Parts: sequence; C-alpha cells; structure tokens
Amino acid sequence: MSFVEIWQLIIANPILNVLVALSHFLFGQFGLAIIALTIIVRLVSWPLTKRQLKSSKAMQDMQPKLQELQRKYGKNKPKLQQEMMKLYKEAGINPLGCLWPMLIQFPIWIALYQAIMSALATTPGNLLNLAQRLYSWEIVSQAIPLSSQFLGLDLGQTALEAGGLGLLLAIIVGGTMWIQQKMTAAPSVDPRQESTQRMMTLMMPLMFGFFTLMFPSGLALYWAVSNIIGIITQYFVTGGWGYLKFRSPFSQR
Amino acid sequence: MKQPKILLLIVIALLPLTLVSCVPWGTQAGGGWSGTAFHDGNIYAGTSNGRVVAINSSTQSLEWFYTVAMPSGGASCGQSSVSAPIYATPIVDGDLVYIGTYSGEVYALSRADGESIWIYPPKGEGYIGAVVGSPVIANGIIYTSSSDGKVYALNTTNGKPMWETDHPLADKLWTSPTVMGDTLYVSTLDGDIYALSAETGELLDWSFESEAGFASSPVICEDTDTMFLGSFDRHLYAVKIGSNVSEWRFPEKPAGNWFWTSPVIDEGIVYAGCLDGKLYAIEADTGREIWSYLTEDQNGKPSPIVSSPVLMDNLLIVVNESGTLHVFDLAGELANEGVPWWTTSIGAGVWSSFCAQEGLVYIRGEDNHLYIVDTGNRQVNQPIPLTDEA
Repeated sequence: MSFVEIWQLIIANPILNVLVALSHFLFGQFGLAIIALTIIVRLVSWPLTKRQLKSSKAMQDMQPKLQELQRKYGKNKPKLQQEMMKLYKEAGINPLGCLWPMLIQFPIWIALYQAIMSALATTPGNLLNLAQRLYSWEIVSQAIPLSSQFLGLDLGQTALEAGGLGLLLAIIVGGTMWIQQKMTAAPSVDPRQESTQRMMTLMMPLMFGFFTLMFPSGLALYWAVSNIIGIITQYFVTGGWGYLKFRSPFSQR
Repeated sequence: MKQPKILLLIVIALLPLTLVSCVPWGTQAGGGWSGTAFHDGNIYAGTSNGRVVAINSSTQSLEWFYTVAMPSGGASCGQSSVSAPIYATPIVDGDLVYIGTYSGEVYALSRADGESIWIYPPKGEGYIGAVVGSPVIANGIIYTSSSDGKVYALNTTNGKPMWETDHPLADKLWTSPTVMGDTLYVSTLDGDIYALSAETGELLDWSFESEAGFASSPVICEDTDTMFLGSFDRHLYAVKIGSNVSEWRFPEKPAGNWFWTSPVIDEGIVYAGCLDGKLYAIEADTGREIWSYLTEDQNGKPSPIVSSPVLMDNLLIVVNESGTLHVFDLAGELANEGVPWWTTSIGAGVWSSFCAQEGLVYIRGEDNHLYIVDTGNRQVNQPIPLTDEA
C-alpha cells in the first residue's frame, strides 16, 4: 500500500465522509458541516490544547523569575540560557510544547483542504474522483452534490474570487490568529528572542490572511472558527486575555 | 538589523502568494475527457490541451486541429490565456463539427479544415457557464446544457441563439439534454428531470423529482416512453414520461457505486455500466437483472466503468477505466450468460466516451492517444498521438 493510499484510508477519506454526512444532518449546509467538524477536531485535540494552555499559563507565572534571571545573567548569554532551561525543567515546562497542537493540526488542514475540494466537486473530474472515496452510507449518497453556498460565500472559491466578503474573511482569519497568538506569546527576557517572537506574531496572521485569499473559503472558514474556539477556550482556561495588551471588560484585574 | 527583518517578514509572507498564484485554483488549464466521433472517414476528438482534432482514419494522420483558449482568470504566472478543458464530445452535422467547451463556449468548425465558422457567445461578448455534457442536435438546432444551470438552443447554421431557459434549472447542469420529438429532457445533479419545449425552451407540465441527484443523462426508449438514467444513490432509474413515480429502481439494494454513465438499450434489455466495475444487463420492462459481469484491471481489481457502452451490429462494447475493452456478442451462444466474447487492453486509462464504426472501435486514452481496436482481428493498432506532448 502506497503512502497516498494509507493517507486516504486513515485520514482523508474519513474526514471527507464525515463532512458529507454532517452536511446531510445539518440541513444540507456544507458551511455548518465545516463548523461542526472544527468543533469535533477541537474536542479530539483537547488534551493537547489543555497541556499547551497550562504550559502557557505556567510561563506567564514564571515571568518574574525569568526577569530576575535576566537582571542577574543579562550579560552572560550562555549562562542565562542554561539557567532558564534549568528553571523550565524544574517547573516541568517544555517551551516548545505549545507547538504540538499546531503541528498535529497540519495533516488535518491538508486533509480538510482535500476534503473540501473533493466534496464540493467544483470540476467534473473532482466529482468522478469523489465516487471512489465515498462510503456506501445512504446519508452520504443523498447529500451529493453539496451546495457550496454559505452566508453569501462560495466555499469552493478563493476569498480573492469572492470579493468583499472574502476580504472580510481574510481579515477575520488574520485578526483572530493575531489575538490568539498575542494571548499566549509570553514576553521573552532575551531581546533577540523577543524580536523574533514579535515577528512571528505578526507573520503568522499575515501568512494565514494571504492563504485565505488564495485557498477555498471553506478552509478559511475552518481556520476562523478554529481560532475563535481557541480564543474562547484560552480565555476560560488561563483565566483572562493573557498577554494581549488591552484590559478585558470581564477581567477583575 | 530591523530593516532586513521586516524585509524577510514581507518575503516570507508573500511567498505563499507567489507560489499559490502559479496554480489558478478557480481556473483549470487543459484537461477534460472529450470522446471520439466518427464521420465520413474522419475521427474527431477533443484533447486535454484544449484542441479539437480531426484524424483521417485511413492514413491515421492529423487532418487539422483547432485550439480553444480561455482567459487564465487572475494571477497565473504571467499567462493571459490557457487552453480550455474539453469534456464534451464533438458532434458532426453536415459540413460542421460542433464542440462545447469548459470555457463556456460552443464552437462550430469547418469539417474540411477546422476553421471556426461561428462561436457562441461571439468573442468579446462573455461566456455561458462551462459546458460539460455533450450538446445534441435535432431539427437544425443545437442544444447545450451549461454549468450556469441553463439550457441554450442555437441555430446550427449561424450560431444565433434561438432561446435559453428563463432561469437556472439547477445549480449546474453537467449532463447532456435528450431530445424526443418536440420535447427536450434534462436531468440534473440535484435529482430532477425537466421537460422543455424544444421549440421555445418553455418548461412543460411534467417533471420528476428524486431524493438523490442524477449522475447520467437520460436515455429514452421511444417504444415505451421510458427513460433510463443513473443516480448518486447507486441505483439505475426507469422513469415513464408523464409519471411522478419511477417504474423501477435497480438494483434492490444499492450497487457498489454510482451509475455514472448513460446506459444503452437493445431488444428490451438495458446495459448499464457502473463505477463498481460491473456491467449489468437488466430487463427494461421489469428492472430484473439478467446478468452482471465484473470488469477488472490488469491486476485483477475491479475497474470502474466511466464510459457508456456502445453497440455495433450485434456486438456490445464496454471499456473500463483501466482501458480493458470487453466485447459481448449479443447474438452468440454466451449472449445470456454475461460472458465477454473476448477482451483486450489498450494499455491506457479511459474516461471518455468512444465510438465504433465498420468493425473499428475508436477510443481516446487518458494519455492523449487515439487507439483503434479492430474487432475483426482483435488487434489494437499503433496508437496515434493527439497532442505534441503525447
């Protein structure tokens, strides 16, 4: 069995069929199916997300100690790094731990992109290929062909093709990603790291904003909903807006 | 230090844009599964690089070709136009060859030299929706369905529009219309069958609604006023014109996959290919299975039947996706057994409709070669390349 066949059997086809089946249950609305799938993906990856959030909260709590180290070993970089790592180890924190939920979502994004393109069957070839990938469930048969329209957007079209609404979607994707990143990005004691981090916080939302313009709106809908869920869970798990520099009207502090 | 970082940031952010813009997602360059048509010693076919070609069947040489281009639609690495995919099969009527293209145009080309006689809509006047199902000709009118959900009727001589449906009949129409008498029948991916006046395009009283969408174009048995067509619910439907209930649905339990392609009818028997790889012979009156035959690829795995079966004299010819040709002798001893008389492989994938004439079968392979199979000596002739790349 080739890698492509394994990929389709284990990841791509289940996601595709779940999406189509969800559309059937959700009044034939493919957009609602994408939102429902996003929630499912978020629930499945919850243990990892929780770990990431806790790690983020611990980093937040550790800031005074890190600043102390900075003051103490600011001029001796190797020593500062060594002491910081020691501190992380003692607190049981992996500074790279927050990357895992994102890495795990990459295959899902790829599979979702493929699923959206296949399920919407924007070309006759896609429709024919779809036949070979659908399960023989009656609900799946009855859902085909799917309607690509959702809230005035064609989910098979790129946001660029969609015009004003597409642009709004790109801003939502970029904006929500920026908020989410700002909430977790603990200020670094190392100015170089701080600079890199600031660049990443700006670059990622910008990149995803561009991706939104270039990829089908269905995928952008997934990103937007996923980000919003991320912000909400982060707010409640870490108890506030984290490092986002504005005071929440709900915050006690 | 700050400036190079900002520069890097911009470069990285623009990289996906640059990469993605080279792949026009909304615009498909080339492709399609146009089939073959035989007329007066020439074979006509659309190719995956947007050409309509005429091949002399005797000399097996290229007589002419015509390239159909379409705007690239946004950023596509500097190209302003790309070759248009062609899904529809050319049709020949009189001195003209007609073709509908995915660019949303219908072309009439001179049969003699491939010169464009007319284009609808005329150049500079926009496009209709992409044409996927092959147009049909009846009474001097060419009828085409389109991805904008409408049906268009054009004068075959000059391409002047006779009528178009007032509103879209479905989200998109990818099947071919079928003409019987003065009525046009159209099946939709949404699961409807509509009857339209062939003269005016007006919707007639009768229509049929199914829970699942129709994958194939209707084929009508004029003796019984019954149409046969495949559905996404993995059944083949028999629908009597005028009735709101299907005559029968085959098989009782859903088949292994969709009945994607239109069936053929002969002597009261419906022969339907299915994407599960089986060819089914079904009694047209009752929907009872007479026999079924599982077609396979070279590795013994079931291979979907994407192209409609073709009848030539007493031979039923079926080609599956893997390019294996099956010939059933409907007058032979094995006629009722569902066993092919003989099989052969052309060695290329087949998604296109094909034609058969005077003992020869003309098939366009997915590798952009024309394969000619001689049913007399059961040999596959030297494939003829249809594109420069092939």
